[in-house]
This record gives sequence, structure tokens and C-alpha cells, in this order.
Amino acid sequence: MKISVDRTRCEGYGFCEEKAPTLLRLDSDDELEILSEEVGDDQQDRARLAVRSCPVAALRLEE
Amino acid sequence: MTTITTPSDLDLFSDENLTDPYPAYRALRDEAPAVWLDRVGCWAVTRYDGVREVLGDWERFSAAQGVGMNDEVNTATQGTILASDPPLHDTLRGVLAESLSPRAIKSLSGSISEQAHRLVDSLVEDGGFDAIGQLARVFPPSIVADLIGFPQDVRPRLLPWGDGVFNALGPVNERMTSAMPLLQELYGWVYGIQGSDLTEGSMGRAVYDAADRGVIDHASAPQLLVAYTAAAMDTTINAIGSAVWLFSTHPEQWDAVRADRSLIPAAFNEVLRFESPVHVFTRVATRDLAIDGTPIGEGDRLMVLYASANRDERHFGDSADEFDVTRDASDQLAFGYGLHGCAGQGFARMEAHALFEAMADRIERFEPAGTPKRHLNNFVRGLETLPVTIRKA
Repeated sequence: MKISVDRTRCEGYGFCEEKAPTLLRLDSDDELEILSEEVGDDQQDRARLAVRSCPVAALRLEE
Repeated sequence: MTTITTPSDLDLFSDENLTDPYPAYRALRDEAPAVWLDRVGCWAVTRYDGVREVLGDWERFSAAQGVGMNDEVNTATQGTILASDPPLHDTLRGVLAESLSPRAIKSLSGSISEQAHRLVDSLVEDGGFDAIGQLARVFPPSIVADLIGFPQDVRPRLLPWGDGVFNALGPVNERMTSAMPLLQELYGWVYGIQGSDLTEGSMGRAVYDAADRGVIDHASAPQLLVAYTAAAMDTTINAIGSAVWLFSTHPEQWDAVRADRSLIPAAFNEVLRFESPVHVFTRVATRDLAIDGTPIGEGDRLMVLYASANRDERHFGDSADEFDVTRDASDQLAFGYGLHGCAGQGFARMEAHALFEAMADRIERFEPAGTPKRHLNNFVRGLETLPVTIRKA
């Protein structure tokens, strides 16, 4: 499973960071940083929650 | 209990259903994921999953033919930020995001918190107040009018204009036709001004600056100013009014917020879920398709029922009709979702969180002091008056 962000849509709400802090993080400029593009088996539920939490649908998962 | 004998019987915009739409919404949800409403000639998308699907897929559910329910306003608003698809939408959205994204508004948080405290401090002295006239209709407009940079002389018109825009989007009914003069007045003003009429450095001025830089067409600047005007007022006003109403009628929920301030963001999500300020926008199906098995024809218009989705038992469980600030309502749909998800939601949250904090500091208990009066509008839900007495903390 891979996680990716559409930078033209991301506005930096940070809800994804709350749901999956090991995968996603807002950096000091509040730009979204993907800490791990490849989602490990034990992180898949968190990744799904993170993607779902984005209010502007900027995150995508490839199963 | 509303019974749908045939779907065409239902008028979601009657006084009765605007006063309490939830029985009708439940009946619609139980009927089907999408129900054809003959009176208004369009589908109602009734359940959480369907609403989320429609909002998340602009290629199948387009906003470019307008998001209202009458041809006049749908035609007049085409190409505006609400009534557009990519790529035009994304260019317009980019301009708003430069002013409204969480990183853009971060520096405002201290001043908004200060204004919230000042207002609440002044209100608690009398032991009671009208939570609409003295709080909900004061707090967002006083902040937003400065930020957008409106000249003083039009500020008293912002509330009627905002209310008018949401009525005008509705089906052709008395509320819609009475709103048209207000809409004409708003457009008359907005097309009569120049960027320099708005405060330098304001969000409104930024829109005109973007047009000067060639980022957007000059024609888009007044339209974005209209979007700001409409979207920044009735939405947060109604959310704040509903919040105080819910806290006054569910004192144990207010106790919970006061006991644990970290619940404030969740409490605001729950207010928005339980009493969604915007009840409807529409989309048009771009092809023959189905919503959870219900076939929809190409060109059919669909009402996206945000407030019905937010009360859907299929998603929020058997307690969907209960107000519970400890619920995880973070995926509530009151701000919409996806491409057209509310551009000001970071700001709305900042305003509401600051106000909840200030009220939690000073108010131990809200008590209803008389019957609240509802304000009926085609697309937004809120109160006209809400008298409360308070016990000071």
C-alpha cells in the first residue's frame, strides 16, 4: 500500500497527522511531509483513517 | 413521523419541514439512498455514504451548472467558485486558500481569542443575553468584516445579504423570490466598487490584487467577494447559535466540555453534525450512474442533504439523534468534503474554539429563558432569537 498527497489540494489542516503521525507530518512551514510513502502492514488502518480525515480529499491510497 | 406515500408528496422547503427537517430526512433515508422529489424536480441524496460519494467525485457530480435549485440563480452563478469544476475551480480556490488556509490564518488566533473573551466578558455581566442577537450575530461579523476589509457603510447590509444569498439558491418559492432584491443589491454594490475600496492588506483586497496580477480574471474578483460575504456569515452565525442552544438544553454536555477543554474541537464537530448550518447544495450527474443501486440519469440534478447525512444511523449508529460531545464526529460532513469542502473551515474552527474557550472560562451553566424562535431559510438552518440566562463560573 502506498500513500500520496495532491499538493495542489492540500491546505494544511493536519487532521491526517493526528490520525497517522508515523506516516504524515506537517513540517515547520505547515507543508505536509510524507514520512513513509510505503505503508507497512501494521499501519494500513491508520493510513485509511488519515486519508478519510482529509477535508479536501487531498490524500490517496494505492492498495 | 413523516410518511412518504410517494416521494413527490414531500416539500422539504415548507415552514414545517424547515422548522424540523429531521423526521422528513429520516423518512427519505429509509426510503432509498436517492429519492426523486417531484415538486422540485431533482433527486435527494439522503444517506452518509451517498453524500460523501457525490461530494468526493466532481467528474461524475459536477457543480459547474450551479449548486442551487432554480435556473435563474444557477445560470447567473456559473463560473463562480461554488459553481465550477477544475481547472477553473482550482484557480479560484487557490486565491482563497492563500488567505484562508490554516497556515495563512495561524497568526490571527491570538486576536480572535482576545475578541472572544472581550465579548463573553461583557455579556456575562447582565446574567443573561440573547445568544443570537448579542452573540452569534455579533462575533463572526465583527471579525470577518475587518478581515475581508468591507467599508463601514455596507457592514449593516452583510447579514441581510448573506441570508438572501442562501434563500436565493433555493427552489422557486416565496423565500427565494423575496431574496432576489437583496441579491440585486449585493451584486449592485459588488460590481460598483474597486479593489481600492476594500481595506489594504485585507482578504477581500487580496482577491482584487490576484486579478491585477493576472492569477484570476477581473470578472472573478467581485464574484469571490460575494462568496466571502455569503459563506463567512450565516454559516458560523448559525453554528454558534446552535451550539449555545444545544449547550443550554444539554447541560451535562457543557459540563463535560468545561471539565475537559481538550473536548472543544470534538464538541464543535458534534454541534456541526447535529445541527448542520448548511442543509443543501446541489450537483448535476454528468452521466448515467447509480448511487448505492439507485439509477440516476445523465443531467439529473441532485440535492446533497448534508444534515441528513450527518444524522444517518447507518453511519453514526443508533445514537445519531443524540447530542454527545464525546463522540468522534470528525468525519461529519457539514463543511462538505473534497474539492468544494469549505475553504473557510480552518477559520470557522478557530472562531468557534476561541468562543467555546471564552464561554467555558466564564459560564458555568446556560439556561433557556423563553422559547427560542427559529429563522427559516431555504438552505441554512439557525435561530432568530435564543434568550438564555447564565450562571457565572
